Amino acid sequence: MLIAQAIIDGILVGGFYALMAAGLTLVFGVMDIVNFAQGALVVLGAYLSYALSVHLNIDPFLSLLITVPATSLLGVAIYWVLIKPIKRDRVVMSLLVMFAVATLIEGILDWVFKSNLVQVHASYVNKSFQLGRLNFPAIYLYAFALSVGLLALLYTLIYRSRFGRSLRASMQNPVAARMVGINTDRVSAITLGIGIGLAAAGGMVFGTTNAFNAASSYDLISRLLVIVILGGFGSISGALVAALLMLVIQDVVAVVWSPVWGQTTFYLVLVVVLLLRPQGLFGRRAVRAQ
Amino acid sequence: MLTLTGVVAGYGGGDILRGVDLTVEEGSITCVVGPNGAGKSTLLKVVSGLLRPRLGTVTFQGKSLTGKSPQHILRSGIVQVMQSRSLFPDLSVRDNVELGAFLVRDQAVVRKRMAEVVEQFPIVRERLDDRAGSLSGGQQRMVEFARALMLDPSLVVLDEPSMGLEPKAALMMYGYVRQMQSDGRTVLLVEQNVRAGLELASHGVVMEAGRVRLTGTGAEILLNPQMRQLYLGGTVDIDPALSASGPRGDADAPSWPA
Repeated sequence: MLIAQAIIDGILVGGFYALMAAGLTLVFGVMDIVNFAQGALVVLGAYLSYALSVHLNIDPFLSLLITVPATSLLGVAIYWVLIKPIKRDRVVMSLLVMFAVATLIEGILDWVFKSNLVQVHASYVNKSFQLGRLNFPAIYLYAFALSVGLLALLYTLIYRSRFGRSLRASMQNPVAARMVGINTDRVSAITLGIGIGLAAAGGMVFGTTNAFNAASSYDLISRLLVIVILGGFGSISGALVAALLMLVIQDVVAVVWSPVWGQTTFYLVLVVVLLLRPQGLFGRRAVRAQ
Repeated sequence: MLTLTGVVAGYGGGDILRGVDLTVEEGSITCVVGPNGAGKSTLLKVVSGLLRPRLGTVTFQGKSLTGKSPQHILRSGIVQVMQSRSLFPDLSVRDNVELGAFLVRDQAVVRKRMAEVVEQFPIVRERLDDRAGSLSGGQQRMVEFARALMLDPSLVVLDEPSMGLEPKAALMMYGYVRQMQSDGRTVLLVEQNVRAGLELASHGVVMEAGRVRLTGTGAEILLNPQMRQLYLGGTVDIDPALSASGPRGDADAPSWPA
């Protein structure tokens, strides 16, 4: 029964990790940029929901109506102001830029909110539903539903819209995309906005289920990178599967063995998978057409 | 129809095009040939807006296109088929072709053009729902042509269209280029296969070291004795030591009849 509970917990938590990782892998797919700031942006999202909850008494889920558009705009601005002007060595330079953004956000958050651990509160945070002997914490269920909803929305956007078609074209062959009239800068800016918006949504859930401070971003970005690498860089479905797989394995190992080994397993699985399949679970060996 | 005047362009610190003057007549098939490094592909990048010229002007049907974006140039009626691998391999053939009309908002127009293109290119009809990446090189080129026609362009720019094609597929491709001309379109192409390109073309242009060296009809260029010199020994000012070692290491040379 403990193992069944661990699997359920892993799936529920894996859902919102998938959300945050989807943003990271999407940005990589379109722009070839590893967004090192994704962890800091998740924490930013958590703090924004926290501030809205404490000062304006806004429910964390409702706060997303403000935080997601605001952080998405921040993403669009980061692209136009910091990434677009880079003329040479764009991939390497943008890595450094995103690292600088992460450091800046962490510094500002640490200055504004100090380093005390905080948590976003809502009336249902400690509520849970029982099904037989299985326990379903309400917040995780709501968060899972939110993740499924947002990922479905993302899927529809990517596979059923004109923008999605231009995004997929830009992912596969950016030069050819420009040659058919796609404004790849616009696609990149919007994609970074979406990726960071998803980080903020994930951040709200992270903030309601964990005590956090500005330094929490390091653990987060490590985990998100593991998920994205395991799923195959640039593969959204890979990120979903990897997030669920990793969190379930971690929770099951934690219950069967020990919580310490649960954490370690997270990284061990990555090493084993990469030894057997260097391109990740859903990654493609083929190099993108230049 | 298309006029380039004194175009200087390049990457980083260097200039590849060093003052190109070129006119493409309406209704012509104009073929640009020249050794590797002559600036042929760079010239096409300037025409399609991927590269902004540092100096000089580009005008098309009386309007300036100098430094305009690829979108603007597409809208003005110029479509380019890139040298190779220009499809989106994981998208279906249908998606690839429809993306050719990305700038057309009116879906009725897109459907009408799609029907015309499907009629013209049987391979598109047969493989409509297959992944573009699963097609052979020749088939992919046909899909690229089909995609280019979705904007109903008045000028089609082709960058080495025979590259990587087996002879039969290349012949078929040249047939489609002639068809474009009979449909009232102008074609500007760069060709590595000098003989085939100039035989196909009504107008020939020879480039070397970033400048236009010769112009004339395709036949005139083919018969011009300077051509053989250009391909086999370089220009007159070439170092004798280099000319003694044969062609100047360019892949175009073998296609030129000895």
